[in-house]
Amino acid sequence: MTETPRFLMVQTSLLAVVLVLHTYVGLHIVRRSLIFSDLVLDQAAALGALVGIYFGIQYGGVGSYVVALVAVVAGSAMLALLKPRNPLVPREAVIGILYALALVASLLVGDKLAGGEAYVAKTLAGSLLWVSWPLVYVTTAVYAALLMVHWVFRRKFLALSDGTQDLTNEKLWDFLFFVTQGIITVLIVPVAGVLLAYAFLMIPAATAALFRKDWLGAVVLGWGVGLAACLTGLGASYHFDWPYGPTLVVALGVVFLAAVVCRAIVPRRAQP
Amino acid sequence: MPNMVAILGLPFLTCVLMTLILSHLGIHILRREVIFIDIALAQTAAVGALAGHIFFGFATDSLLGYLCALGITLAAAGFYAIARRHVSQIPLEAVIGVTYAIAAAAALFLAGLAPGGHVHVKEVLAGSILWSTWQDIGTAGLVFAAVGLGFVLFRKPFNRLSDDYDRARADQMNVVCWDFLFYALLGMVVTLAVRTAGVVVVFSFLIIPATVSALLTSRWQLRLPIAWTYGIASSAAGLLAAYHYDFSVGPAIAAFLGLTLALTAAGLRVKDRIRRTAPCARPAEPEANAPPR
Repeated sequence: MTETPRFLMVQTSLLAVVLVLHTYVGLHIVRRSLIFSDLVLDQAAALGALVGIYFGIQYGGVGSYVVALVAVVAGSAMLALLKPRNPLVPREAVIGILYALALVASLLVGDKLAGGEAYVAKTLAGSLLWVSWPLVYVTTAVYAALLMVHWVFRRKFLALSDGTQDLTNEKLWDFLFFVTQGIITVLIVPVAGVLLAYAFLMIPAATAALFRKDWLGAVVLGWGVGLAACLTGLGASYHFDWPYGPTLVVALGVVFLAAVVCRAIVPRRAQP
Repeated sequence: MPNMVAILGLPFLTCVLMTLILSHLGIHILRREVIFIDIALAQTAAVGALAGHIFFGFATDSLLGYLCALGITLAAAGFYAIARRHVSQIPLEAVIGVTYAIAAAAALFLAGLAPGGHVHVKEVLAGSILWSTWQDIGTAGLVFAAVGLGFVLFRKPFNRLSDDYDRARADQMNVVCWDFLFYALLGMVVTLAVRTAGVVVVFSFLIIPATVSALLTSRWQLRLPIAWTYGIASSAAGLLAAYHYDFSVGPAIAAFLGLTLALTAAGLRVKDRIRRTAPCARPAEPEANAPPR
């Protein structure tokens, strides 16, 4: 009987930790309108892991994380460097094409693996149920380090999003931003899968951005709303025996849709 | 050789049909900067088909299954049209991105409820162009032709809306209605195309030829033929590569579309650089020719 509360404790602590940084990084992404950059990185991590399997590296092992990290850094470099000069091609198009190609490459690598389909599905859907305490510790440590990085260089990163001051090395800071985002990705994709990792990053941030313009308020609001929705989802999933990760995201999604409807009905009121 | 034609003939026809309609839609979408609308609509359609299959037992490739998918896609189209008008705090692309995440999660959720769900997940992504039949092609041809006709008839309001949303709104145009019509037509095409080709492949057909044409020219009349040529040539190359090296057909075609785009972009950059480093009379010839080995 003590298994259940303990299991729920692990999940809740991981969610609480994950959501802080996710909301913050997600806000950057929403404000810069680079929505799908995260999918590119998620899919790059999955592609790295799949290529690793092709060369005999076990999925979910340390080697697998290293390969995924390499793939993610390469992906960050591409995101930072490939900026179309042609005004007819928006930057989001480049990001979209990178995502499609990473996904396509994953499917093609999957073709050449024994049981590749199952692996591809696994990288997409993840396996949140395998969360363990060691993973929570590692994740907490890495996230704390990343938060430090974001705090120390906050002026630079905020300047990227607000466009208020001239950055000297814009591409370098862009690259560093995507690398921090990528490290999160590498940790989260084996657990949550590509689609859910993306959803966790985007939904709380987008919900918060609907209501707050300042950074601190938005992060707090996103974190609170996200955690509340996740805990509801967690309970529902446990109680009705629904698939775990997708239930969380559907719960987050319901909150977001409600927020959009709310904003469409009272569009101007309560703006700071 | 006849064997290869028998296997690849129908898939190639499907690709040609998809290129014809999707390139045109892609050019609109690039101008509106709502790149991911298609992937979101496609994913929503997949959720509809899956829900119809699980709750009502409709086969995903039946007419009823299609209607389920179409219904939920139309709902999404209405949602985007209204959101674009009324939600000003975050970009529309963010709303689209989040609805994609929700739809993807809903698909996984439904797949998790049904046994053998994750085979579905891969099929929704990669599709099965190889198994196209004459009936599929006939249906697709009819629907695409109808939608194409719609785009010809309403080209003026659609172009105005794609070019400058705010001005169209200021001119007392009923933006929500026209937007809805645009997304609904797009949704009809995407719903049908995704059933044979899968989400990623349709996305690649939509966006990559349009991007290539934007790189090469800014003239509206030239962009469509360029996009068509690129799309059809890349699908032929992708089909042949998949046949010879035993890869999935859809992803192989998408990979070739991406490859041609990368080559074009790289070629243009090189040309640009040559022009800039040698502004005077020296032509680009020595660099353009590969050095002798």
